[in-house]
Amino acid sequence: MSREAKLATLAEKRAKILAGGGEKRVAKQHESGKLTARERINALLDEGSFIEIDQFVTHRSPDLGELPGEGVVTGYGTIDGRLIYLSSQDFTVSGGSLGEMHADKMAKVMDLALAVGAPFIAINDSGGARIQEGIGSLDGFGQIFKRNTIASGVIPQISVILGPCAGGAVYSPAITDFIFMSKQGNMYITGPAVIKSVTGEEVSMEVLGGPHTHTAISGNAHFAAPTEDEVFNQIRRLLSFLPSNNLEGAPICECNDPAERMEDILLDIVPDDPNRPYDMKDIIVALADNKDFMEVQENFAKNMIIGFIRLNGMTVGVIANQPQVMAGCMDINGSDKAARFVRMCDAFGIPLLTLCDTPGFLPGVAQEHNGIQRHGAKLLYAFSEATVPKMTVITRKGYGGAYIAMCSKSIGCDTAIAWPSAQIAVMGAAGAVNILDHKAIKEAADPAALRTQKIAEYEDKFANPYCAAALGYVDIITEPEKTRYYLIRSLETLLTKKETRPGKKHGNIPL
Amino acid sequence: MKKYNVVVNGETFTVEVEEVGGAATSVASAPKAAPAPAAAAPAPAPKAAPAPAAAPAVTADGCKIESPLPGTILKINVTMGQAIKAGDVLLILEAMKMENEIVAPQDGSVKAISVAAGKTVQAGDVLLVI
Repeated sequence: MSREAKLATLAEKRAKILAGGGEKRVAKQHESGKLTARERINALLDEGSFIEIDQFVTHRSPDLGELPGEGVVTGYGTIDGRLIYLSSQDFTVSGGSLGEMHADKMAKVMDLALAVGAPFIAINDSGGARIQEGIGSLDGFGQIFKRNTIASGVIPQISVILGPCAGGAVYSPAITDFIFMSKQGNMYITGPAVIKSVTGEEVSMEVLGGPHTHTAISGNAHFAAPTEDEVFNQIRRLLSFLPSNNLEGAPICECNDPAERMEDILLDIVPDDPNRPYDMKDIIVALADNKDFMEVQENFAKNMIIGFIRLNGMTVGVIANQPQVMAGCMDINGSDKAARFVRMCDAFGIPLLTLCDTPGFLPGVAQEHNGIQRHGAKLLYAFSEATVPKMTVITRKGYGGAYIAMCSKSIGCDTAIAWPSAQIAVMGAAGAVNILDHKAIKEAADPAALRTQKIAEYEDKFANPYCAAALGYVDIITEPEKTRYYLIRSLETLLTKKETRPGKKHGNIPL
Repeated sequence: MKKYNVVVNGETFTVEVEEVGGAATSVASAPKAAPAPAAAAPAPAPKAAPAPAAAPAVTADGCKIESPLPGTILKINVTMGQAIKAGDVLLILEAMKMENEIVAPQDGSVKAISVAAGKTVQAGDVLLVI
């Protein structure tokens, strides 16, 4: 064969693979509002940066015909100039179904990502296991789950759900750090048909496992957007906050926003009346460089806010109570959400900023019976375990165990800042008086008057930041508008912080 | 003396059982109705997941606004039939020493008001339908 003929063969073979499932199926993919596997990669990565590997891999099943590219495109490229490994399932080829060699391709890029220390992004659009390949497909899932787990905490792993992701396939995203969904994304363990046959429940795919369900109800997904392009924008923005691996720091942005900037909004954002709510997000935004806050899991457990900001160009993970939702109470979902975020930040060396205004853990039989104790314990565990710089601002209420759980000095906060509006105490005034002065009030000539008096006395004595500061549990009490300055100065000093823990295989976090 | 055949793993054993005391004992030792084998037990229908706090349950009858917390209704800002926009404060629920604003999750009009100012509500109680 001549050289020209050999090159022609390569071109012909490659063209066939690049065409995916063929014109008809590609048209169908576009009609359903979805891009093809390769279009997605090009839309996500820096232009022209993608290098595909394993283009010519094929399955080994005698029962299957030709499947160009094995139904998944894998390789590497850059986002904002930073190396990324990724896989993108091709729904136009056998429904993106996952067979033995399809999984092998994914496993290979995951191994490479882990070896070089670059983030891994998996774009999911697949009907599930390739049934014709039987147990070989199942093994493929296992190979991926195992790699997801081993890479966890070493490189950021992002799952992008742009089509179906059903059955066992959901466990790969579930292990990864962040899940993004487009409008066409669906995730469920068993589909509507199986559910109907087993439990009789009738449910649509959208309600069962669509983006609203997973971002607002189940909490499985972290971000959702109507279009794929918007999803890709969110991914690029998120990556700008994250390091490429656990040994490198997050990218440091040039910061033109002065540390001394004071925001008037902070002066009076906390209402004088402790019973009035306010929006904690206003405080986060005011403190952040250029008022840029990327919230994570915005619509799930809204009583607890998590997300990323920068302080003087450095990425900081924020965990905050939201007094506007459920009075800022901590509950099962809020604790889970915050605890996982804290551990993710700690794994990747991202400093933590906690904003505390919580009246306590949510009382109720349902919370107790559903395990608030072990779920709340996760947050205490996560903060105690974290060795990154930890800063806490108490804006108003810091009561009881919930105050301790919100990264208090006691569990390892490096810089505790309180505002003059802070009330740090074992419990609220009314509750405390009911216990402490129960007898005196009962026997008083005018119980109501004595109760009011006792409450006022308690508030005077305990509902302030000075009791805690007197014992060193608060390092700095400051005017709210100076908080940004103190946080940035503090963060700068804490960057070289070293904290060691006893050698162990791993702790036993209450899951 | 009564004779029973007991089958264990397909093997038949003949056993004799002697009745010893009065009625009470005999009832206690009487063979109970054989429990249905585990495999045949009907899978209990999973309970419907509890609605998330304050999540609107959209039904054919409208969108039900449920109480996210146990507390007391302090103030109702809307009247029957009133047109509302997503984000409007529908009522104030005093709970956990906080005047919690309950906001409309979507545009619509007030179809039913199930509570009155001063009323105590539990988490999950329907407050309004829009």
